[in-house]
Amino acid sequence: MRLKMNKNSLRFTLTTLSCVGLAVMAACSTLKTPATADVAVSKAAVSNAADAGAAEYAPMELKLAQEKLAAANKAMLAKDYKLARDLAAQAQVDAKLAQSKANTAKATAAADAVQDDVRVLREELDRAGRQ
Amino acid sequence: MLKNLKNRTVPSLLLAAAVMAGCNSMPRQNVMLAEARSDYGTAQSNPNVVKLASSELKDAALALDQANAAFADRKDDEQVNKLAYLARQKIATTQEIAKRKVAEQAIIDAGKERDQVRLDQRTMEADNARMDASIAQNRVASAQIRASNAEAQTLDAQRMTAEAEARTRDLEAMLADMAATKSERGMVITLGDVLFNVNEAQLKPDGLRNVQKLAAFMTKYPQRTVLVEGFTDSTGSSAHNLELSKRRAESVRGALESMGIASDRSATRGYGESYPVAGNDTGANRQLNRRVEIILSDDQGRVVPR
Repeated sequence: MRLKMNKNSLRFTLTTLSCVGLAVMAACSTLKTPATADVAVSKAAVSNAADAGAAEYAPMELKLAQEKLAAANKAMLAKDYKLARDLAAQAQVDAKLAQSKANTAKATAAADAVQDDVRVLREELDRAGRQ
Repeated sequence: MLKNLKNRTVPSLLLAAAVMAGCNSMPRQNVMLAEARSDYGTAQSNPNVVKLASSELKDAALALDQANAAFADRKDDEQVNKLAYLARQKIATTQEIAKRKVAEQAIIDAGKERDQVRLDQRTMEADNARMDASIAQNRVASAQIRASNAEAQTLDAQRMTAEAEARTRDLEAMLADMAATKSERGMVITLGDVLFNVNEAQLKPDGLRNVQKLAAFMTKYPQRTVLVEGFTDSTGSSAHNLELSKRRAESVRGALESMGIASDRSATRGYGESYPVAGNDTGANRQLNRRVEIILSDDQGRVVPR
């Protein structure tokens, strides 16, 4: 009876150990690698937004993205990869929105300028035509 | 006692049931997700977003699906909020992209319009320049025409002056050739007695030559007429002298007619021994008195009568 108990106990222990090992490996593989990539992608997105002139045309969105990117980096250092991934994802959408807003503002300003040009030219033409 | 218990229990059970029913029918709420759904509805009903940001809208729809799925799986609010936030930002991005593309199209359109307006402007400037040039050309041409007209008029005037001068010279030369002399009655040609046969009306060849010159002159100046006057000396009877003077005048007239001068361009008078130009005392003087005077008319054919 004791031997049998021991045998059962051993099997249980082995099973438990292997399960835990598998769980740890799985956790490590899913948490470590993608967070690094996510943060890198977000960093690029924020950089692109800044290059597009978001500081001038979408300062609020850019600030949000930069703050979240900084927080994501901090979470990486603290090895809180889940938080880092979440923050990186948010920083990325914020940065893309900031970049889009900046591009829209620039395109709109350019359109206004050209339309103004046309209006001025047309007025000149009308004046010249009346003379 | 049992009945009493039962009476108390029924309302409590009913209340509990009502509360449970209330809890069941009360939908779960997530504000962020509701806003994301609303934003998506707005984006989807914007034709520009659907047309110009279709792939971004699909991406946003996937993000919203994930948030909806998390909510349906009763994931905690934090999880749903995170997914809904991503969806919202992606939806907002689709709106910006659509706006940007509309603005870019506006730039293209306005650029084309600007080119067209500039072209119109150039065309008008060119037309104006052409018009100005042709006005200037017309002015130059008019000035040239005026100048050449003036020149022609000057030339005409010069030519007319020259012609008049030539005519005058010609006239004077012919008159000089006919030995015409100026008198109060105009130019007078005197045919002396020696040009007629003695006591006859007939002209000698020299006399005919003089008449020939007169005929040439009258042919050249057709508006001129002549008055032919015959005179004698006082020798012989007055009747004979008058007769001779008339016949001599007629002889000249006849000679003119034979040379092609119309008879209505000459008239004759016989004055006999009247109007002597010298005394009848000497032979030389009497010869001066025997004469025929031809008075030339002016340009209008007028002859001052004696």
